[in-house]
Amino acid sequence: MEQKKMTRRGFMGTAAGVAAFTVVPRHVVAGSGAAAPSEKINIAGVGIGGQGGADLRNLESQNIVALCDVDWRHAAGCFRRYPNAKQYKDFRVMLDKEDKNLDGVVVATPDHMHAIVSMAAIRRGKHVYCEKPLTHTVREAKILAEAAREAKVATQMGNQGQASEGTRLLCETIWDGAIGQVRDVHIWTDRPLNGIDKWYWPQGVDRPKGEDPIPETLDWDLLIGPAPMRPYVQRVYHPFVWRGWWDFGTGALGDIGCHSIDPVFRALKLGYPTSVEATCTLVNNETYPVASRVTYEFPARGDLAPVTLHWYDGGMKPPRPPELEDGRKWDTNGALYVGDKGKMYNGRLLPESRQREYGKPPQKLERSPGHYMEWVIACKGGKPAGSNFPDHAGLLAQVVLMGNIALRPALKEKLLSTKLLWDAQGFKFTNVPEANPYLTKEYREGWARLYRLMKDD
Amino acid sequence: MNGVNEGKDRLSRRSFMGQTAAVAAFTVVPRYVLGGARNVAPSEKLNIAGIGIGGRGEGDLDECRSENIVALCDVDERHAARVFKKYPDARKWVDFRKMLDEQKDIDAVIIATPDHLHAVAAMAAMKRGKHVYCEKPLTHCIWEARQLTLAAREAKVATQLGNQGQASDDNRLVSEIIWDGAIGPVREVHAWCNRPISTRGVGRPPETPEVPKTLNWDLWLGPAKYRPYHPVYLPFRWRSWWDFGTGVLGDIGCHQLDPVFRALKLGYPLSVEACSSNMDEGPGVKEETAPKSSIVRFEFPQREDMPPLALTWYDGGLMPQRPPELEEGRRFGEADDNLFIGDKGKMLGHRLIPEARMKEYGRPPQRIERSPGHHKEWIDACKGGKPARANFEWAGPLTEVVLLGNVALKMEKQLYEKGLKLRYDGPNMQVTNLPEANKYIRDEYREGWSL
Repeated sequence: MEQKKMTRRGFMGTAAGVAAFTVVPRHVVAGSGAAAPSEKINIAGVGIGGQGGADLRNLESQNIVALCDVDWRHAAGCFRRYPNAKQYKDFRVMLDKEDKNLDGVVVATPDHMHAIVSMAAIRRGKHVYCEKPLTHTVREAKILAEAAREAKVATQMGNQGQASEGTRLLCETIWDGAIGQVRDVHIWTDRPLNGIDKWYWPQGVDRPKGEDPIPETLDWDLLIGPAPMRPYVQRVYHPFVWRGWWDFGTGALGDIGCHSIDPVFRALKLGYPTSVEATCTLVNNETYPVASRVTYEFPARGDLAPVTLHWYDGGMKPPRPPELEDGRKWDTNGALYVGDKGKMYNGRLLPESRQREYGKPPQKLERSPGHYMEWVIACKGGKPAGSNFPDHAGLLAQVVLMGNIALRPALKEKLLSTKLLWDAQGFKFTNVPEANPYLTKEYREGWARLYRLMKDD
Repeated sequence: MNGVNEGKDRLSRRSFMGQTAAVAAFTVVPRYVLGGARNVAPSEKLNIAGIGIGGRGEGDLDECRSENIVALCDVDERHAARVFKKYPDARKWVDFRKMLDEQKDIDAVIIATPDHLHAVAAMAAMKRGKHVYCEKPLTHCIWEARQLTLAAREAKVATQLGNQGQASDDNRLVSEIIWDGAIGPVREVHAWCNRPISTRGVGRPPETPEVPKTLNWDLWLGPAKYRPYHPVYLPFRWRSWWDFGTGVLGDIGCHQLDPVFRALKLGYPLSVEACSSNMDEGPGVKEETAPKSSIVRFEFPQREDMPPLALTWYDGGLMPQRPPELEEGRRFGEADDNLFIGDKGKMLGHRLIPEARMKEYGRPPQRIERSPGHHKEWIDACKGGKPARANFEWAGPLTEVVLLGNVALKMEKQLYEKGLKLRYDGPNMQVTNLPEANKYIRDEYREGWSL
């Protein structure tokens, strides 16, 4: 069939409604239908200068029809790669103009924009691929997941590791009982550091004084989006290093947590925690701390024992387990699952001889066609992607972001005397009411309209 | 390790001298001077010299005001001015070596210089038979601590480390509660300190400002490698600079870990591992300053009937998890504290948790004699009384272990790359599985300086 080479748009133009090999008609209700497996979907990228560009490269089997970035210099490479895609600075304008033309949107803006862009797309019935962490606040993650469920759109968060063989083997090994009941999990990253003699982005710093002229290619107001306005200073916020700033990013935990805590949620079938606590280096109201430890307590789930999740960043790690052989690296980024009958480190039983002896667990999980392809398949009416918002990513992101609330400097004094106790039913911390405002955030004037879109109340 | 004990069984010079003095009855010991300390009877006053007096030294001198403060030595005239004025009768010196050579009436010295000068000053004093009170940590490197321990033993002088907390009742209660079995065998201790010492995680400043006229920079550097003067190092700010200070662990470890070592009868650890927040902050940073925050983990073997112990140190704001026994609403040590985890209970600082448990428990049987005061202990020892409780026989090994934590921190990257934790042979002062770590056991001294 010629359809394979045809864009979905072209095909729809001629064959909509025709039953030949039953291509499911797309729109029916505006934007929320599914493209047929044989068609290509039309994708727009929002925030394309960084990870967004990489996401799009993984989706090149589809049609990249529109590109949006507030910084056209930063986006230039991506623009060049997709010369036929329409170029935009403001995603709102793009969504208006391309509404009829788009099936899905890839969101890879700074964290503080994720929810607003994703929600705007979902409200138009577009499928959404959104980078991790799903959102900037806990409440945004919850509402976004609910909205995605309601709109029945295909969603996927950008935590590619979830599609890996490793994640599946980890789950299957633990479900096989190879390490018994798991009561402690340690997850760590060196971020904001990066390997040898560098860091990815600064944390533990204050806002710089002064102001630089805003480059003509950058729409600073749009980059700020719903955050409070602040003066532009070159290289301090953009590109990429926004991650360390409370107003824009979610720190090391937000950046890496949705990757590395994802398998913990799957293997141990976690839901909301009962408590969250954190300790860290000096922290201010501008940036996340240089290093932190965040600890979550999860209740028993069916037959599964209560579990404590220990998060470390900024170079902090748990102690080397005695089972780890001398000469084996205790990595800068790692995961250690401690069970009653053994330990797993970065996906393998400890010591390595134990893993060799054990071999492979019985396969219980379906393998992935690939993280991006999962989303494409879902967009075309296939099964939901592994990290879709309603079933997985929404909850994972909420829990990850709760850790950042425990790091808030304004709560530090209070949190010396207690940990944060979470009431899942009531969606609030029960013992420290002053923590609850941090579940959400204030949105800058002009963005409130979009925010109201997000709120059901 | 034999080094760390209460020193009860040793025939100390002081107790020996005490007997001699008793024989001599009311005889005031003649003030003959062989260059060493006089035999000072309890009724007499010691002649004390202060070395490094602008900072903590002032407090130490004040604690010894009952004695004669006869000499004051500091390389920074401006910083020391207030103390010079406070003790107008004391002779003023810039170079402690000259002071010790020329001023013959000194019985005892109080050393409160930056860490890198502790050993050379203490050794110079002990070689001349002077009693020594030295601020914590005892020394800047492990080898120095060992040498001072041996020298103090040989010179039979009265010594005391400046970890005054050891003289408290609380310090004794920690041991007595644990020895009473109130929390059962202890397998884990978490110690944390959030003290904001000088700027950490930074590299050496490139500027070379002129040395103030009031400062003898060369003497301030002492045995350390030469580097140009910069106000970023002094006064007081030297603690974070590896060439001069010993980080938060060195600054506070000898205070805070003292009760842990006593209660759990710790000697040398089998292994140490460390992680820090500036493992990779940039070229030269890790070599220059202590990290903004760190976690250092020591593993100790079984001691007598006590099981192996994991001791975890946190600084820079990091802490262990809040123990569930701690009552809701009760503060969990924002600055510093020790958490002891036993098979039958937990203790925070010197109190069982929860507090209800402590109330129920009451007080342990008293097994350790109470102190007349930390400085007084030393003064008494100088006058023939019993050895001070943190004499170098105790303080040397304690300091060695604390400083070993810094070796692990300095070798963090190498240990990471080789996939090892640092394994240690305490008696021989050797890192056994990473030979290059041994360069941090002993400082190289600048030309013209030696112990």
